Amino acid sequence: MADLDALEDLMRAANRGDSAAYLRLFTAITPVLRKVVRARGAALGHAGCEDVLQDALLAIHSKRHTWREDAPLRPWLYAIARHKVIDAFRARGRHIELSIDEFAEGLPAAAGPDPTDGRDMDKVLGQLDPRAAEIVRAFGLNGETTAETAARLDMSEGAVRVALHRALKAIARLRERMIE
Amino acid sequence: MKTEDLILALSADTLPQKSVAQQLARAMPVATLISIAAFLVFWGPRPDIWDALGSAAVLKTLLPLGFVVMAAALALALTHPGARQDIRAAALGLFAILVIGAFATALLNAGFAGLIAALSTPSLLTCLISIPVLALPVLVAVFWALSSGAALRPRLTGAVAGSIAGGLAASVYSIYCDKDMILFVVPAYCAAIASVAVIGALLGPRLLRW
Repeated sequence: MADLDALEDLMRAANRGDSAAYLRLFTAITPVLRKVVRARGAALGHAGCEDVLQDALLAIHSKRHTWREDAPLRPWLYAIARHKVIDAFRARGRHIELSIDEFAEGLPAAAGPDPTDGRDMDKVLGQLDPRAAEIVRAFGLNGETTAETAARLDMSEGAVRVALHRALKAIARLRERMIE
Repeated sequence: MKTEDLILALSADTLPQKSVAQQLARAMPVATLISIAAFLVFWGPRPDIWDALGSAAVLKTLLPLGFVVMAAALALALTHPGARQDIRAAALGLFAILVIGAFATALLNAGFAGLIAALSTPSLLTCLISIPVLALPVLVAVFWALSSGAALRPRLTGAVAGSIAGGLAASVYSIYCDKDMILFVVPAYCAAIASVAVIGALLGPRLLRW
């Protein structure tokens, strides 16, 4: 996908309000970032790595206005992600849980949790006001569009957009406090 | 929450965000007005202010303003990952060399005794206290604006934030200050601005984390 469209074009379109382009951007960069995080953070386990990855994605989203539209996107992207990943590892490193993977080799493989599931995000969503958490979940779990969420919650589309925007900001703040 | 679900939520949020420069342009005038209001109430202009502004002493007011503009440009680069900082840092360095050069020339002419004489005045203490106090509202505003950016070097960025606040406060304070000798102005103002820069450097890692 990234070959068909330069990441810069996708980001510029996202800045004009094109959420389909924005989703394609995230879809293109997430696997790359996941590899980077897992290469560094074997000791955190898959779920721990996924938390770090989600931190980085949240930071890319909440700092997207610090990318200059005439600059290449990749250096910016990696600078943001590297900062967030180092930060997350530094904080989590202090209380790394010892992975049992090494001991478990001889054991039959149990059906583990989904490796793309982050745990921290659910804790944070639990701290949000329920309506805000519901709106954040709606786009992901239910795959709803803004219009569908608006209709279901009896809100205007504009109100849903603003509520989502604020909820994501609150999440970024809470996550930050969590890894302090 | 799964990462694929998270990126669905993230990509649905395409509301525009204010740029760091916009935030700075919003907060700085308010803070500067507060600082000027405090100045007018507690300090006030020197009696011969119009004569002073017509003389070379106007540089006490203008040079710190130029410094503020350059420091603000550097602060914006520092909060935008991937932005070039070298030219902006070089401009500040060149400015510092010119100021130090002017100071060194004056020092060569007057000798250390002249420097001691110039600094042996109660105005020195007034200057060292007044500039950081006047800088306070601006420091709050600059940190507020810069914290919306993405500072990769929070300590340095904090120091630059302090320099912006200190420089602006020095410019305001110069309207009161009736000491115009280079041997007083350069060391006193630089020390006062540097003290605000140190405060900024100490606060940076705390206030600019993200």
